[in-house]
Amino acid sequence: MIEGTLAQIDASSAQAIADGVNRVWVLVICFLIFFMQPGFALLEAGQVRAKNVANVLMKNMTDWVFGVLAFFIIGAGFSGIVGQLTTPGTALDIGAAFSHIGDPTAYVGWFFGAVFAMTAATIVSGAVAERMNFAAYVFVAIVMTAIIYPAMPGISWGGTGLLSSNGYLGEAIGAGYLDFAGATVVHMCGGIAGLVGAKMVGPRTGRYDENGNSQPIPGHSMLLAVLGTLILAFGWYGFNVGTQATVLSASDGTLTVMEGALGSVVINTTLGMGAGGVAAMLVSWAWQGKPDPLWTANGLLAGLVAVTGAVPHVTWWGGVLLGLITGALVLPTFRWVVDSLKIDDVCGVFVVHGSSGAIGTILIPVFGATSTGAWTFLGVDQLIMQVVGVLVIGIWTVLATIVTFGIADAIWGLRASEEEEEQGLDVGEHGVSAYPEFTADTSPESPVASADGGEVRTDGGVQDD
Amino acid sequence: MTDSDIEMVVAIVRPDKLSDVKQGLAEVGAPSLTVTDVSGRGSQPSKKGQWRGEEYVVDLHQKVKVECVVADIPAEDVAEAIADAAHTGEPGDGKVFILPVSKAYQVRTGKTGVDAV
Repeated sequence: MIEGTLAQIDASSAQAIADGVNRVWVLVICFLIFFMQPGFALLEAGQVRAKNVANVLMKNMTDWVFGVLAFFIIGAGFSGIVGQLTTPGTALDIGAAFSHIGDPTAYVGWFFGAVFAMTAATIVSGAVAERMNFAAYVFVAIVMTAIIYPAMPGISWGGTGLLSSNGYLGEAIGAGYLDFAGATVVHMCGGIAGLVGAKMVGPRTGRYDENGNSQPIPGHSMLLAVLGTLILAFGWYGFNVGTQATVLSASDGTLTVMEGALGSVVINTTLGMGAGGVAAMLVSWAWQGKPDPLWTANGLLAGLVAVTGAVPHVTWWGGVLLGLITGALVLPTFRWVVDSLKIDDVCGVFVVHGSSGAIGTILIPVFGATSTGAWTFLGVDQLIMQVVGVLVIGIWTVLATIVTFGIADAIWGLRASEEEEEQGLDVGEHGVSAYPEFTADTSPESPVASADGGEVRTDGGVQDD
Repeated sequence: MTDSDIEMVVAIVRPDKLSDVKQGLAEVGAPSLTVTDVSGRGSQPSKKGQWRGEEYVVDLHQKVKVECVVADIPAEDVAEAIADAAHTGEPGDGKVFILPVSKAYQVRTGKTGVDAV
């Protein structure tokens, strides 16, 4: 019945129908990816002490509000320029790179890129939480969304750029880099930038004792951390499945639903997430004696990151294995960062987003799938390309982050003052409290009555002036 | 009667015994009480907490503080009712104290002394 109707429409109508369906799909998944922002906000807020919650929330909002402007005006165009410069036979065309700014028909496409950019940026705040100067953070967030992240899709995606099959490295190696939705392009970039940032900002006061042994600083709400994780995972369906941006393809008036492609990305996203959570839970159980909700939540996300680049390229059991490997590595890798590297990565963004993205993306060729879902090795060239791609993205992110934090250090200083850190950045940086109590009955206009019209002293307090 | 006949029973008990304590207070004829979440250290051994693979010591245990001001009922009866209701026999059951109250006012009626209680 439906097939008969579709068969009668002309090619241009079929194309319009497909375009319309795909545009609606892309917008909806962009809204889902935007919903990863509250996920990150809750996840990070739960892992810090109550006195720093508003500061973490400010950083997450900063990533979005400054980020969308920076990515519109600079980032998207910079990404295009990087792609042009690293592709043989492609001339530098600055006008073309920035053409989205004046073209309403390009805005949905820009938005599709923007939600990924802001995801990369917001990862950093979790690593540098509880001690970083806010002004310096705003600068880092802007550079992250204008320069550091945009270079990565520029060299990887859209058929042009250094790592693509048409780019300098892609041509030399004979394979284009595979990272479907951005396990490395987005997540590893954010995770490594976070690690470098955490190293340069230095550990929170009290994180290491005088002998250099780490001391736990528990976060204030497991509820927020786990709820944030699940909201993040919900938005991740937009991130991974939505990167399969074509759900309906039109060819000579015939419409085809991309059933297999959509199925591969949704199954690997789901199984990778599950396997990551299972592995992390079991490892925490063996390591600590009890199954730990925060490790399980981190493992779930590590599994998601691991399959983010791989979802259409690997078999279903490949997705499971990627989740199991990266989920199992969450706890030991985090301990290595904290105990051996002595880096205070508060929310574990390096292991969750950085190393998990690298492992998952490098292993894509090993667990490769044909279009029918059967296992196939994607070739040595592809494996080499995956390693090279991870190295290029990693090295760029490390160097660019060092320069960015270095500039921020020179201008503002990277650390909040010791007094601020002790008091909490909520009061010190923003003059607010995330959980205010007993403050409703006073204001500067109607201060609490006191004998000398000045500050109220507690009973027995001694005036020292 | 003088104000010095008023006494306050302050009890620190296990949170999960609060329901039994309320029941015990009602049975002894002193159902009014104020409850506060508190943390404290006593004979109960410390617990281990875990955060990201690191252990830390929790030696302040969560308890509830029950405050009960009485005038007509003997404070000793109230204290015993609380102690009986909160008893498990394990370290960490809590403590009960009896304190004199020098004056009392009822906010709604303005009554003072024993009448306020």
